[in-house]
Amino acid sequence: MSDASHIKPATKTAPISRGARIVDVLKRDWQLYVMLLPTIIWLLLFLYKPMYGLQIAFKDYSVFRGIANSPWVGFEHFETLFNNDQFIRAIRNTVVISFWSLLIGFPVPILLALLFNEVLNQKFKKTTQTIVYLPHFISSVIIAGIVIAAFAPSAGIVNTAIRALGGDAIYFLTKPEWFRPIFIGTGIWQEAGFQSIVYLAAIAGVSPTLYESAVVDGASRWQMMWKITIPSILPTIIIMLIIRIGNILEVSFEMIILLYQPATYETADVVNTFIYRQGLQGGQYDLAAAAGLFNAVMAFTLVMAANALSKRYSRTSLW
Amino acid sequence: MSGVQLDGIIKRYGAVQVVHGVDLNVAEKEFVVLVGPSGCGKSTTLRMIAGLEEISDGEVTIDGRMVNRVAPKDRDVAMVFQNYALYPHLNVADNIAFGLRIRRESKEVIASSIDEVAGILGLTDYLDRRPADLSGGQRQRVAMGRAIVRRPKVFLFDEPLSNLDAKLRTQMRAEIKRLHNRLGVTSIYVTHDQVEAMTLADRIVVMHDGRIEQVGTPMELFMNPVNTFVASFLGSPPMNQVTAKVEKVGSDFVGVFAGNRLPLARLGDLEARVGQDVVVGIRPEYVTPATDGVKDQVRIELDLVETLGSEALLHAMLADAPFVIKADTTTAASKLSDVTGFTIAPELIRIFDGETDLALAGQDRPA
Repeated sequence: MSDASHIKPATKTAPISRGARIVDVLKRDWQLYVMLLPTIIWLLLFLYKPMYGLQIAFKDYSVFRGIANSPWVGFEHFETLFNNDQFIRAIRNTVVISFWSLLIGFPVPILLALLFNEVLNQKFKKTTQTIVYLPHFISSVIIAGIVIAAFAPSAGIVNTAIRALGGDAIYFLTKPEWFRPIFIGTGIWQEAGFQSIVYLAAIAGVSPTLYESAVVDGASRWQMMWKITIPSILPTIIIMLIIRIGNILEVSFEMIILLYQPATYETADVVNTFIYRQGLQGGQYDLAAAAGLFNAVMAFTLVMAANALSKRYSRTSLW
Repeated sequence: MSGVQLDGIIKRYGAVQVVHGVDLNVAEKEFVVLVGPSGCGKSTTLRMIAGLEEISDGEVTIDGRMVNRVAPKDRDVAMVFQNYALYPHLNVADNIAFGLRIRRESKEVIASSIDEVAGILGLTDYLDRRPADLSGGQRQRVAMGRAIVRRPKVFLFDEPLSNLDAKLRTQMRAEIKRLHNRLGVTSIYVTHDQVEAMTLADRIVVMHDGRIEQVGTPMELFMNPVNTFVASFLGSPPMNQVTAKVEKVGSDFVGVFAGNRLPLARLGDLEARVGQDVVVGIRPEYVTPATDGVKDQVRIELDLVETLGSEALLHAMLADAPFVIKADTTTAASKLSDVTGFTIAPELIRIFDGETDLALAGQDRPA
């Protein structure tokens, strides 16, 4: 009979510390972290370091005294902002423009991707794709120039058409009621094609056998689009929606600056253009910082809420 | 008669022809397995039957109706795919009901059909789950449920078990066979796994390079392969093939190779091949291992013994080619490493022409 008493029980190895694990991972994948480094440096320099300057939103900031030596004023700038009709108007305009941009502009790239997916002629597909992607690569200044020229009261193509149909020329860019449709339409024209690439990539990832199986089951192309393609790309749509909601208060600032004028401030002035005018043109950096901070906190809250809702109802979320 | 008939079907992709005039008759309720190596055209043939690939030439007839220009949905076939093709956003019940909803069946019919199919396939407890929450075997069952719920005339299976592990594959294989016995629907099944083909099929169709090599029952193909390709494709391990020169000794024939003289059956066809090379096919399970002292053994150089439990595979070299023997471990497990050769009854040897690789006439055994 063998004696098992000399056999040592298996010793438990000490758990590896978190620090040691991190060192192991860094050693193993150091090449990846080296590649990541420029992005981290960029983030620290251009997104985190400037946060130090956010404190001027709570200070009576003077360029000569500097950030550190300017006296604290608490929420004074926020009170000033919320007592300022122009700021309230800017918030309202931001929300209205963003809401309509989201409502009309968000589905357009999805529709474009679905349409491209249905095009069987490859040559036609590539040509139309190139045409709709193109505006994205044109500078905002040129896009604004095209819009101004198109809506010009005398020789603009739109007014020429209106006159040809017997109507009177409309001074589109000086009328507040026309600013939002023109701005939102321009944004869709410029970006919808390029944004459709994400959805086209998602569609390309749908297994072809799902369609083959549906074909054998008797599904039409229309049914396949509704019952397979759209549900399959829904997680991508939701992710893009969350990102878009996070940027809802970041209305295309350059385009508004290029298209608006005092006559259209009533519907065109948004938080970012307000900040630009107060901060850079008016020299009220502290007030502009308060407005910017308000904007950022609102965006952060929105993206958190959208993510939580999406996680709860669709199992899809950013984190 | 819900049989399937293929008459000289051809598939071309541009100038490249991948299926070269396949003729096949699948009888009603028959389970036919198309088997062959990758790229042999078996899946393309199946997809032509389903209507997922256009037929370049020839005719496909289902249930007596030529379907070359009939849309897949109107062929009354159901297909099970290798990767299941389950809709990830739908739960099991909705996946099963997908085809019925497309065909606008009533809610009552859909509900009762789901219940019936789920009962048959053991999916009743999983109807609310999504595919991501199911195991591989359960997903495969859902895929089959989606096929059988429509009560089609023909089932088409495109390597449905390839994504499963070995144990599950064996289990699902039996379930497919049971299901076929129960439903009695004409089935065409594509696989590259000869074990699946042997166990499932009423008849096996061996394909190679876009052509049918042989059609027959599993045992017919195993016992009487028409050529060296079929011989090497069916059987696990495959049939050993050795090139030997035919000599006549009195009224008997022997195959001479690497200093060995292997007695061959008295075939009329061998008479004309005396002095020529033939391919001698020897099934690993038909030989009797021999140790030193056994007379008239064919000598081998034993290289490796793989013990599988009740049996073992002896890997050896014979005439500079690999040679495998399947041996019983229960009788002489400890002696397997002492094996020096083998003996085999002449009637168990399959002889093929040395040039055409076709089996010689007159040697078929009852399957």
